[in-house]
Amino acid sequence: MRIALPQLHHDQAGFDALVDLWAKTEACFLDVIELDLSDATWIDADLCAPFGALLYALGERINTVKLLNIRPDVERALTQNGFLSIYGRKAVPDRWGTTLPYQQFDPKDDRYFADYVETKLIRRTELPAMSSALLKKLSESLFEIFSNAVIHSSTEMGIFSCGQFFPKRDRLNFSVADLGIGIRRNVTETTGLTLDAAQAIEWATTGRNTTRRGAIPGGLGLKLLVQFVDLNGGSLQIVSDAGYWRRENGKSCIVQLTRPFPGTVVSVEINTADQQSYVLASEVEETDIF
Amino acid sequence: MTNNLLEVSVFEIAGSPFCVASDDGQKVHDRLAAALKAGHGVRLSFHNVTIVTSAFLNAAIGQLYGEFDEAQIRALLKVSDIAPDDVMLLKRVVETAKQYFADPQTFAQAIQAVQGGDGDD
Repeated sequence: MRIALPQLHHDQAGFDALVDLWAKTEACFLDVIELDLSDATWIDADLCAPFGALLYALGERINTVKLLNIRPDVERALTQNGFLSIYGRKAVPDRWGTTLPYQQFDPKDDRYFADYVETKLIRRTELPAMSSALLKKLSESLFEIFSNAVIHSSTEMGIFSCGQFFPKRDRLNFSVADLGIGIRRNVTETTGLTLDAAQAIEWATTGRNTTRRGAIPGGLGLKLLVQFVDLNGGSLQIVSDAGYWRRENGKSCIVQLTRPFPGTVVSVEINTADQQSYVLASEVEETDIF
Repeated sequence: MTNNLLEVSVFEIAGSPFCVASDDGQKVHDRLAAALKAGHGVRLSFHNVTIVTSAFLNAAIGQLYGEFDEAQIRALLKVSDIAPDDVMLLKRVVETAKQYFADPQTFAQAIQAVQGGDGDD
């Protein structure tokens, strides 16, 4: 089977292209799948997370995936972040210090993910400067995204992450993808609500809603992320099943995709020039917590 | 009681300045719950902790509200050395936990889950 892949931008069209790829290949078993990237003039590096998740799922079905006709610019970007090493290319150093490498984690790998964030983001002196408050808030947000995937996806096939700095635009993109049950099924199974996939994402990001059941409360992770992105002036996209949800400028919109993604992708874009302190005026006293 | 507080170090239990894993939060919870059950006051220190997540705090502290009275927790549990923005997060976790366990249906499911050995879905 040979499939042409278009350019992949960090937006709805990019995710549409990925779910289209999945729709064309999900039935493959013991197959050779050749992805022709000659039309892919650009691939936003953070999209390696959902792209890599899809290719991993195809590998689980004992398929061989070949990436063909990769354009030099794309090849350079996806080699520097380690993505193409998985597909036989030689790893090269990140010359500009702008990548957060492509990485696959087991759901039990909280500590490895913490180490990844520490070594690839917090302690990387060559990355563009960010205020310490923003770096802390950003790190917390990445951990919240990872925890969200661990707690809610029920995935057994791993969690995939990748990020990219754009120093000239003062932006950092970071995506985390899992191959779990997705938000719609999680909402339906835990609450009994019948929502389409896009509505389910909206539900999960709103108010006090939570799919958490059991002894440990939950329901804060995505809301914290939404608040951070609103304050920071960045954006947040979530793709789960056939739902697409985007948050920007304090407003969210939902779209039903034509095809499903076999899991969930959380994709954040951060304004790295943000100088806010992120400590609100009405601080809580240590004696007034409980 | 407060003059004779037991000390529990979050950093010591997590073994890292990044307190992000729900499993590590569970370990903190188990120590706090044992002390509270025995009627002991506890000071939970966040000394040297640089990052905490809601998942960690929900497991460590949020779930205490399913097991102990609010008044009991307020009387016996103290925190120290916590960053101002982390205090804000902890306060939100606590408020969310109170609401979560105030919902009888959720609470019934929680009890059922605990009895069934499913402490974390």
